[in-house]
Amino acid sequence: MNRSQSRNAWAFLAFPLAIIALFVALPSLAGIVLSFFEWSGGGSPRFIGMENYRALAASGPFAPALRNTLIFALVTVPITTGGAFLIAAALNAEWFRGRTTLRTVLFIPTIVSIVAIGFIWRWVLDPSPAGLLNHALEWFGLERSGLPDWLGHGPWGLVTIMGVSIWRSLGFAVVLYLAALGGVPRSMYDAAAVDGATSWQTLWHITWPGVRPMTFFLLITGMIGALQVFDIVLVMIGTSATGWTDVLNLYLYREFTLNRLGYSSALGVIILLLTIIITAIQWRSLGGAEAGA
Amino acid sequence: MSERHAILRPPALSRWLIHAAVYAIALTMLIPFAWMIATSLKTRGEAISSTPTLLPPGWPWQWQWANYSQAWETANLGRYYINSAVVAIVVTLLAGVHNALAGFALAKMRFTGRKVTFTVLLLVMMLPVQVSFIFAYVICGWLGYVDNYQALIVPFLASAFGIFYMRQAITSVPDDLLDAGRIDGFSDFEIFVYIIVPSIKPAVAALAIFTFIASWNSFFWPLIVIDSNDMATLPLAVASLSSQYYTDSWPVQMAAATIITVPLILVFLLFQRAFVEGITLTGIKG
Repeated sequence: MNRSQSRNAWAFLAFPLAIIALFVALPSLAGIVLSFFEWSGGGSPRFIGMENYRALAASGPFAPALRNTLIFALVTVPITTGGAFLIAAALNAEWFRGRTTLRTVLFIPTIVSIVAIGFIWRWVLDPSPAGLLNHALEWFGLERSGLPDWLGHGPWGLVTIMGVSIWRSLGFAVVLYLAALGGVPRSMYDAAAVDGATSWQTLWHITWPGVRPMTFFLLITGMIGALQVFDIVLVMIGTSATGWTDVLNLYLYREFTLNRLGYSSALGVIILLLTIIITAIQWRSLGGAEAGA
Repeated sequence: MSERHAILRPPALSRWLIHAAVYAIALTMLIPFAWMIATSLKTRGEAISSTPTLLPPGWPWQWQWANYSQAWETANLGRYYINSAVVAIVVTLLAGVHNALAGFALAKMRFTGRKVTFTVLLLVMMLPVQVSFIFAYVICGWLGYVDNYQALIVPFLASAFGIFYMRQAITSVPDDLLDAGRIDGFSDFEIFVYIIVPSIKPAVAALAIFTFIASWNSFFWPLIVIDSNDMATLPLAVASLSSQYYTDSWPVQMAAATIITVPLILVFLLFQRAFVEGITLTGIKG
């Protein structure tokens, strides 16, 4: 082994690794430890063992927040991934017109600030006469009094959050799938054509398995992100979300602003554990090793 | 970019339906933004009218352009624009260099601890910010960063994701090129500058756009580390615009939303070719 190369490699790595250690790795370890303490930020933390977790399990907001977070993740991630695959497959077909323009249009929601997205959708979904969606539904003959409260704390609020979230992340997954579709060997399609496969059969038996590593990547990273859902609820519903619109991360944020830092950390650890469990389940059931991810 | 597939040719009716479905979805992506811009040019009364029109009433010179100056001045957006731009530009440039250098070391250099370092980075990528932010905040406090540019910049000067992404891209550069450079007497750093960087330009551009967008739109962390009004970034300022001043002034809110959105769309349109190529090159493809 070349000694000067080893020295140079560490010189290139030293600063980036120091930043990651100082602002991500060490604070995470400390955060996990803090979940066993009571601390308000001033004075010294007091060790209380599992007390935060016990209090958390017994607290009113925990069960609904956990339920909503899981529903959010389990609904939005598969729909986004599956929908993006179908759209990308259509855009990738040689007979499809307007592929470049559509790719750009679909990508726009991904790059726009969540704050602007919250403004726009609150406006579109507003229950007042000006709200675009209810206006349109009325035009189709529905009674205004029977229309759902899209921005309330009931189940429709959760539907709104999930819908806007899917709308927002679809384009990113489409662009990644388009990149993956370029890697499916042409010879596979030629073979399918020789066997007389229909285009739907080809889509299902050639294209879908061909982009399996990307599906795997999108499901895993999508789940990790979905379990941390926060800003979309904040801008659509507000920090005081309850009932069907509360999520774990928002609960955590409220506890943090009340200076209950140990309790807040325990919620962070719950999110981390959920992430690890769901990633492990996906890894096993989707066969991570063979998918090459 | 990718090879298109002539074989996948369903009957005409299906093709027509597929076009209709995809274009309908794309329309839902465009209409809200068109609506945002239209509303930003209406009066309050026109905006909450029960018979809304897509175009603001009257000729363009009669539209409510004053909503923009009102949003800009009332929310003091000039100051926040500068904050957001300084932070996003500095982070994008410096993080780009650091992540690429670290990615180069992990992809192409042989040294003890390479495997362990890479594995640890992959684990770090899984850590949710919710577990780390309290002590990241405490550390920023010790360093005197809270409520300063440093708090928004220094923690982002490198990232596990960025290093991973660069490592994936650099792995695809042929070793022969590097060996040729070594024979010419290049140092490791010269190889990085003259051989690696030019070969992975699209990936560098893609990561730069990712980083810029993430920094510009960043919400959770600034919400935590920025207390004073002066240091807020655009998303924070615009969010507080809705909660404090203008709960029922939709047109001014939409003007503010347009103001923070336009730079990103411009950046994306300018660099989108590089961006799409960069994603294709990174090894997360199928």
